[in-house]
Amino acid sequence: MLINRITLLGHKDHGKSTLIGNLLIQTGTASEQRINDAKKTSQKLGRKFEPGFILDSFEEEREGGLTIDTTRVQINYKDIGFEFIDVPGHEELIKNMMSGASYAKFAILLVSAKSDEGIRPQTKRHLFLAKMMGINKIIIAVNKMDYANYRKDVFDNMRNEIETFLHKIGFDKKQAYFIPISAYNADNLVKISKKTPWYKGSTLMDAMKNAVVGEEEETDGKLRIIVQGVLPSGKKTMTTGKIISGTIKAGEKVSIVPANITAKTKEIFVKGKKQKAARKGENVALTFDKEPKGSLRGSVIYGATVSVRPTKRVSSIIFFTKNVVKPISIKINGNEIACDEAKIKDVIDTGTGSKMKSSYDKTLNAADVELKFSKAIIAEPFEISAELGRFVVYQGKEFVGLGIVKGCIT
Amino acid sequence: MIQQDLKELEERSIYIIREATTKFDKVAALWSMGKDSTTMLALARKAFLGKVPFPVIHIDNNIDFPETYKFRQDLAKKWKLDLIVAESEIKPEMSGFACCGENKTVALKKVMKDYGFDALIVSIRRDEHGIRAKERYMSPRDKEFKWNFKDQPAEIWDDYSSKLDAKGHVRIHPLLDWNEVDIWNFIKKEKVPINPLYYSRNGLRYRSLGCTHCTIPIRSNAKTIDAIIGELAVTKVEERSGREQDKEKAYVMQKLRALGYM
Repeated sequence: MLINRITLLGHKDHGKSTLIGNLLIQTGTASEQRINDAKKTSQKLGRKFEPGFILDSFEEEREGGLTIDTTRVQINYKDIGFEFIDVPGHEELIKNMMSGASYAKFAILLVSAKSDEGIRPQTKRHLFLAKMMGINKIIIAVNKMDYANYRKDVFDNMRNEIETFLHKIGFDKKQAYFIPISAYNADNLVKISKKTPWYKGSTLMDAMKNAVVGEEEETDGKLRIIVQGVLPSGKKTMTTGKIISGTIKAGEKVSIVPANITAKTKEIFVKGKKQKAARKGENVALTFDKEPKGSLRGSVIYGATVSVRPTKRVSSIIFFTKNVVKPISIKINGNEIACDEAKIKDVIDTGTGSKMKSSYDKTLNAADVELKFSKAIIAEPFEISAELGRFVVYQGKEFVGLGIVKGCIT
Repeated sequence: MIQQDLKELEERSIYIIREATTKFDKVAALWSMGKDSTTMLALARKAFLGKVPFPVIHIDNNIDFPETYKFRQDLAKKWKLDLIVAESEIKPEMSGFACCGENKTVALKKVMKDYGFDALIVSIRRDEHGIRAKERYMSPRDKEFKWNFKDQPAEIWDDYSSKLDAKGHVRIHPLLDWNEVDIWNFIKKEKVPINPLYYSRNGLRYRSLGCTHCTIPIRSNAKTIDAIIGELAVTKVEERSGREQDKEKAYVMQKLRALGYM
């Protein structure tokens, strides 16, 4: 069964872990042992039953009532495999949220309808990040409707505000599906609730099912292999890499960039077996008519006729987890590249979607950045090739953000 | 339990195993002769065209099952494994936390230091335990082997490596995405040799294998791989229900792992 990965998004305490916990119960996935354990833990801590305890397992998470790091659970719903990735909602734990969300193709954003909670900067920030990281279908679950007496006007107002924000950041609003729920009371999770008679849409699980069915990744089908390294094979070496798009055939002429090597593939091994061809998603070990010299890690193998020129300058959007002051480096295609220059143009306040001056605090905000390297790299716009158009950002030894390539400047 | 697409799982595991040998100078793997670490070795053989390219370590407290020792001997020979047996001393009164925490971890520390390994492949799976579900594919340990679970490195897209503390080592988890039943589907497809204790004898079988002191069998009539797969597809009992260390008290696994346990 293929697994559809879905990340949870949203401000802390808006109910992400509670939702996943209750989905596990409502779909009959959680074992009795797990439910009983969660009940006991709730009692011990003197609280009402918390379905989120089925997930959160660090002592600190349960006692502190927060999610520290991501976790994943799987649910089989109507013969479709789902994996829900729970992530922390706290601002200071955003690198953990990014780690979890980076594996997902879909998202559920939780936002609380409780009057003192509502739409928060972190709610919008998570939407901004999801859009940036390439998630293009989102279910927006307006949670805790019980605290708002299941009122339609509360739901509509929140929907309007979120739609305005989605428009501002360029997210197609047709790909956003709004559902009023109570994660705790299981309203509209797997059964349509009688408490929201004004709501005519699907349950959360059915909406998820509709989102993933028929979803196919679009690529231009051209051959792209990111070179991982070499492995010894007798006296010779083989080049290893992962095919991120297209197919490769034995005997085919390819070009390896940025070194600009043209070679003919001789042998292709997939999972230890020699094959005539290999395709997208497979990890290959290759030999060529002439053995390439030196480390090719981070190089890209294209078909002979495709030429993507190496570049020393790219325009990008970077989401910063910190207000960087020192030189940064990026990790792209498995290699770390120092940036000689990182020219920050506009900063985007990700809590509002508004453009700010370049001097604005970049912590938890995004910026248009022009990056310059002393050595040529291979990159493509994120829109064309997600794998070759995304990178993580370091300042010395410290992770400070992630970015996507908008374009290469030649 | 969901049966996942094996092709996708295998590709990710192969990528991670190759990434480990690319990034680190001295890689070793833990091999308990159980189904998971044996599956990992089968995947390493696929990634490296038939050869396991790193040493495999058995932390041996001399109280494993006789079948397990026989299996170790046979497969090490068949697959030409570079086997390191790291002996740990066991006292009769030891069990659970003291045994797994101190005993095994001390022996592991010694062998890591003696050989200078900087990366250790450990075949844990997310679905085994809530704490293991929190792990990264590549997870740093400090020089005391401590796991700083409150501040784990970012692991975004295929960028598995954080910047590391030179004095510590990195745990590599190529099987993190696999479910228990996926392991059995793979064993079936690839005809991976397996410890006979997993099959039912007299109405009992081991679902998860540890040492003789702390492992108890489950009631089962599954005498074949197909029967095991059929059993797992419908079970709601936790895999490690027969493992003493998890049950002792709350958060034992968290504490064991924070101190360096696998």
